Amino acid sequence: MTQMPVAQQRRIVLPPHRQRARRPRSVRAREWVRRNLFPSKGGTLLTLVSGAVCGVLLAGIIWFVFFDANWQVITDNRWLLFAGSFPHDGEWRLWTGIGFVFILIGLAYGTWSSLGRKDHLFIALAGAFTIFLMAHGGAQIWSTIWFLMAIGLLYAAYAVAVRVPRELGPRRRLQQRVVAGLLALSLPIVMIILMVGGGATMRQLDGFVLNLILAPVGIVGGLIVAIPLALGRASSMRIISWTCTVYIEVVRGAPLLGWLFVALFILDDVIGGDLIVRTMVVLAVFTGAYMAEYIRGGLQALSRGQYEAAHAVGLNQFQSMQLIILPQALRISIPPMVGQAIAIWKDTTLVTVILTLREFKGNADSAIAQMEFIDDRIEAYVFVAVGFWIVAFMMSRVSQRVERAQGVGER
Amino acid sequence: MTTESSESPAAAANGESGRQGRLAGAPDIITAEGVSKWFGDFQALDEVSLSVKEHEIVVILGPSGSGKSTFIRCLNRLEEHDAGRIVIDGIELNEDVRNMQTIRSEVGMVFQQFNLFPHLSVMSNITLGPQKVRRLPKQEANQLAMELLERVGIPEQAEKYPAQLSGGQQQRVAIARALAMQPKIMLFDEPTSALDPEMIKEVLDVMRELAESGMTMLVVTHEMGFAREVADRLVFFDEGALVEQGTPEHFFENPREERTKLFLSQIL
Ligand SMILES: Nc1ncnc2c1ncn2[C@@H]1O[C@H](COP(=O)(O)OP(=O)(O)O)[C@@H](O)[C@H]1O
Ligand SMILES: [Mg+2]
Repeated sequence: MTQMPVAQQRRIVLPPHRQRARRPRSVRAREWVRRNLFPSKGGTLLTLVSGAVCGVLLAGIIWFVFFDANWQVITDNRWLLFAGSFPHDGEWRLWTGIGFVFILIGLAYGTWSSLGRKDHLFIALAGAFTIFLMAHGGAQIWSTIWFLMAIGLLYAAYAVAVRVPRELGPRRRLQQRVVAGLLALSLPIVMIILMVGGGATMRQLDGFVLNLILAPVGIVGGLIVAIPLALGRASSMRIISWTCTVYIEVVRGAPLLGWLFVALFILDDVIGGDLIVRTMVVLAVFTGAYMAEYIRGGLQALSRGQYEAAHAVGLNQFQSMQLIILPQALRISIPPMVGQAIAIWKDTTLVTVILTLREFKGNADSAIAQMEFIDDRIEAYVFVAVGFWIVAFMMSRVSQRVERAQGVGER
Repeated sequence: MTTESSESPAAAANGESGRQGRLAGAPDIITAEGVSKWFGDFQALDEVSLSVKEHEIVVILGPSGSGKSTFIRCLNRLEEHDAGRIVIDGIELNEDVRNMQTIRSEVGMVFQQFNLFPHLSVMSNITLGPQKVRRLPKQEANQLAMELLERVGIPEQAEKYPAQLSGGQQQRVAIARALAMQPKIMLFDEPTSALDPEMIKEVLDVMRELAESGMTMLVVTHEMGFAREVADRLVFFDEGALVEQGTPEHFFENPREERTKLFLSQIL
């Protein structure tokens, strides 16, 4: 055979494969099973062993969930776990908040992504889990209906948003702007829904609701802190870059737990204010230090040519940063930032150690401290774990989506 | 230790063709006098003096590392010169940031690596400068961008992203982006060096058209065909110094300096 360039060889070999007629489905299925499950003796053994392990686990889970577990610890303490000392007559506020967030999720998915089979499955499972807990023990028919309506709103918002064609045009731009604006304002809007006009006080934010508020405050606040920090650390002015470096290294040098105690004791003397507000400040300060480093990584990944082209086009320093450098650096740093967001989401459980703050996990502790549920700690903690997992899983899905969306037309 | 040129630009402009005739009496738009630049201890530019007339096409030649890029980057202050004077269209390049901003919007630059903004569509790449710096309304900026895309021959690519274009198309967008600021001078730093051979021509054609339209151009390139055909004047750099300059005829038929001869014998 004569030598030829690799590209040419490939071009000659590939087409026959592609053009081969598709074989019947049953044959393909059998082939798939053979190739993926029973490729060799060792492979077959592995498949059988792991299949057995999975089977036993699954059986165990089903046995536990449906027969063994006493879910009464959850159903009796639904309100405690979810909302704690949130005033009961403000229940409509919670449902309105949930509805608003679900609409936003639907809009965001419809604008930038699409709901796939896995998403529907996830919504169905998480929804079934929630409804099971609400219906279990009865008397929660209205909650179930509200919840179903919220999911309906999610799909309705999604259906509206996907109807706008994706090609760049005035309508598409407007859509992106509106949804991005709503996302940016979502936190204050939720706080208004929950608190303004005779709603809950700061101190009545409790249970899962508290986690759901603290984490976004930490994440959004962290981002706001992180951008100037990252730019500052990369600055050529020594004093600024040293100051930012010291901030970042000091904050990252101590665990979150330590900083929460700072919020409890030291900040009390310095700035005062409600403990929840102080905790929010600490979460933002803490998250910001980590995120700043990820953004700095993004800044370093950009070629010098981008700065030069921005200047050559006539943009000044601020415009180059705002329009050229930061958008690209932030995109690059999304994956580690989402990792940090998930970490801070789970770390909101730490606020329990500041005894007077009561969040999801802390309230689970209170639930199993009740005499009649003293034996049901596993049920309580499984429930808490699943609650955290559902939100963390959503975050990681979003991150995957964003990464994939970036693949088109970028870099 | 600059070697003074054998022929002044004026003498070059006395040449036979009409292209060169049109330069007679044109004012200098770029004046560089004794420009030096150090990177640490390393002297990258050694008292370079060069004047360019309005509408003139100057091609800069020289081996790699001879300071060609550094010199043209000094002209829009992507690098700061350490000694000497640079005056562009009557404005001196110095610490004054306002002067720098003015000059950058009068001098367009095209890079070897294109340096398009990957997160923006082709359209936005081009309209960014006009909208943000020249404060053109969006409608006008879009119209201008479409005209420029027509001019560089790819109006159908307006809504794509840079990564979806070929190298040649990207470089043509980069040229359109620079032209969108309606510059008086265009600097090209090896605009075809990163391109596959079959794409070089499409970019050179655009540059040729630009030259015919009367744009003042400084082009660093190794495309000798282009240099011979389009340049009013060739300038040869070596080791940070401007060694020799003259018409294409002068260069290709009887260069004076040994270093120039050696370089041309290697590249031709
Ligand atoms: N930012 C820089 N820092 C240090 N040395 C540099 C820098 N830019 C260029 N140089 C050096 O200056 C010399 C001239 O570079 P350059 O102008 O890019 O040459 P050319 O474009 O002719 O190939 C080279 O030796 C190069 O290594
Ligand atoms: Mg160069």
